[in-house]
Amino acid sequence: MATTNGSNDLSSEMEVDAFRRLFPLRFHERHLLESIRPDGRPLGRARDTTISLGAVASANGSALAKIGCTTMLAAVKLEVMTPKAESPDEGCIAIDFHMPPICSPLVRPGRPAEAAPVITKQLTDTILSSGMIDLKELSLVSGKAAWMAYLDIYCLDADGALFDAALLSAVAAFSHLQIPVVSLNDDGRIVLISEENSGAMWEKEPVNKEKRKLKLESVPFSLTCLLHKNYILADPSDEEESIMETFLTVVLDSSFQLVSLNKPGGPGLAHTSAIQDCVGINKTESERTSEDIG
Amino acid sequence: MDEKREDGRAVTQLRPLSCTRNVLNRAHGSASFSQGETRILAAVYGPKAGTKKNENPEKACIEVIWKPKSGQIGKAEKEYEMIVKRTLQNICLLNVHPNTTTSIIIQVVNDDGSLLPCAINAACSALVDAGIPLKYLAVAISCCISEDEDCILDPNKLEEQKMKALVYLVFRNSIMSVLDEESTQVGESIENGIVTSVTHGVMTVNNYFRCLEQGRAAIKPLSDFLRKKLQSKVQSDVSVAG
Amino acid sequence: MAGKISNTPATYTPSPTSQDKKRPSIFTGSDWVRPDGRGLHQCRPAFLRTSAVNSASGSAYAEFGNAKVIVSVFGPRESKKAMMYSDIGRLNCNVSYTSFATPIRGQASDSKDLSSMLHKALEGAIILESFPKTTVDVFALVLESGGSDLPVVISCASLALADAGIMLYDMVASVSMSCLGKNLVIDPVSEEESYQDGGLMITCMPSRNEVTQMTVTGEWSTPKIHEAMQLCLDACSKLGKIMRSCLKETVSATQE
Repeated sequence: MATTNGSNDLSSEMEVDAFRRLFPLRFHERHLLESIRPDGRPLGRARDTTISLGAVASANGSALAKIGCTTMLAAVKLEVMTPKAESPDEGCIAIDFHMPPICSPLVRPGRPAEAAPVITKQLTDTILSSGMIDLKELSLVSGKAAWMAYLDIYCLDADGALFDAALLSAVAAFSHLQIPVVSLNDDGRIVLISEENSGAMWEKEPVNKEKRKLKLESVPFSLTCLLHKNYILADPSDEEESIMETFLTVVLDSSFQLVSLNKPGGPGLAHTSAIQDCVGINKTESERTSEDIG
Repeated sequence: MDEKREDGRAVTQLRPLSCTRNVLNRAHGSASFSQGETRILAAVYGPKAGTKKNENPEKACIEVIWKPKSGQIGKAEKEYEMIVKRTLQNICLLNVHPNTTTSIIIQVVNDDGSLLPCAINAACSALVDAGIPLKYLAVAISCCISEDEDCILDPNKLEEQKMKALVYLVFRNSIMSVLDEESTQVGESIENGIVTSVTHGVMTVNNYFRCLEQGRAAIKPLSDFLRKKLQSKVQSDVSVAG
Repeated sequence: MAGKISNTPATYTPSPTSQDKKRPSIFTGSDWVRPDGRGLHQCRPAFLRTSAVNSASGSAYAEFGNAKVIVSVFGPRESKKAMMYSDIGRLNCNVSYTSFATPIRGQASDSKDLSSMLHKALEGAIILESFPKTTVDVFALVLESGGSDLPVVISCASLALADAGIMLYDMVASVSMSCLGKNLVIDPVSEEESYQDGGLMITCMPSRNEVTQMTVTGEWSTPKIHEAMQLCLDACSKLGKIMRSCLKETVSATQE
């Protein structure tokens, strides 16, 4: 009983799950025709976002960000370094994105995920070029000591839109960052001033009494959209990303300046109108997300 | 306004291009592409049997290996590999050789800005040289927004460092209209679509679209150049055979 | 343009001004309070949750005081191509630490060692005959280290295996003990572990009353070992009950 449009006929008889597995593209396109997605979202809607700050007690700043099921744990640890000669008043930020084997069935131990170094690079570019953090704020003693902020982001659950979630968790971790009070001892090393004896007597005057929090200006917000035919799907899940492979990531800062517009190839093309739409969706979703987080 | 650039170029003027095909003997296809002082050597091996793990065996798989001028490859090179790979997936006919892998090796010979666009142009020429079936040519260009909001094409390394923002764009080549009016209309919209866009630095959304316009306008001479260089070889092959 | 952060300079973690690395005498005394105020034979409050990772076949999150662990289970799935044919299933374990797990960055313990310990602890409890030719992968990530990491990983892994629907003879619960001078302390935190004279860890299947793994390190007297084993086994059976109720909760939640 094979017919030319066999799968269309089958779809009425087949169970939904089987149809989803055997003809994933058709399954999704059927949903798109009805302007809805398999998880019940409209096309231009991102998944619900939650952030909890201070998830890691041993770090100076940390945050757990969830976009749908995609989960990122970011933590900032501050260490002291000698600033570079060409920029004596600046600290440094080192960003690393990890995909441990727990996050996805595709990652195996000993064979790191291909996506991880690429996302690390994109995060570094985005965070440093957005001007969110003034590296001068990380300075302690000009020419002698400055903070090196190690930002490590672990993907705990990979379900699409990894870059968006990673950037969100990174921004949240920096907003939670508590800079410890330190002083310079006689050997030229930076030592901590513990909370208990801070009231009593300081052996040395602290060098950063006021700088306990970073000022975050122009916070970047990222939204990835899938482009499929004429449809634009905001914040794709892992399943959607694997089936429709053309995606476009727009990063805007708080004054809606473009920080990054990344469309790395893929089978489809991005037209000017689609880019404008993606920028528009980013604006509305960034407002919705900031309401979500409160 | 034309005297704004240190090397005396006009704002929208590209550096001298050169493209040589079949420069390597042992590779199945190769090309050397240069824009000014930036030079890339690309080699293509394949299609070889089998695909890598986690790749769809029903399609041809493309593998890109980026070799920097010196030193080991880092995260930046990994990103380039991913971008070049996904860009070439856009222009290759992946259904013709299912369950095969084509390797493209990109060797940086000299970096003087616009490295990624040059690499994409070189890789595309090498694929043509190797006879890998393609739908289109990929034509890549870089675009800069300077401090005084000028839109500058094909910057060299010095200009790249001084710029406020930088955009790498890849388009499909302009189609020669062999067909009637109607289909050229379709062709135009294909030409307008972006295959790849990568940006660095903060800019206004409007400035991005300005770059897009400038880039699109510059694609025509670039793609004509590529087409001319790539056709000449085919003709000489035919004449030898004849 | 984005600044380059290659060739990162040498860094150090600022230490507190007053440094006394000596072992406090209070640890060995009889009237002694533990750093977190627990009784000597009292375990840390345990928080357990299954199905923490959506993309895994089964997973669990465990939090014992400061120790936070996620375990994902994948499979049973195709074994590596190089593997020989096998009538019974294979178990593959891996434990890793985040770089911020320890107070000083990148000072985590040897994960290879822990991986093989985890493998040995679980192997005896899994009905490997139920998935011939295939492999079950158990991957653990220690988000934050807080002492007794391995027992927490093992208990969490057994919960994740149950969540993935892998056939088990019984749940596996694991508890460790430190000997500090005259005192035996159960479920030690990192500080206690670093000063201990001897350590003991028992992994057992509570309802079958079978031990799958036991490790003893350091200095012990025979009566102390007996006492410690009994305390650990009791704690394991209590932990087993908590794990069981956690699983029941998930099942009843999904049925509603």
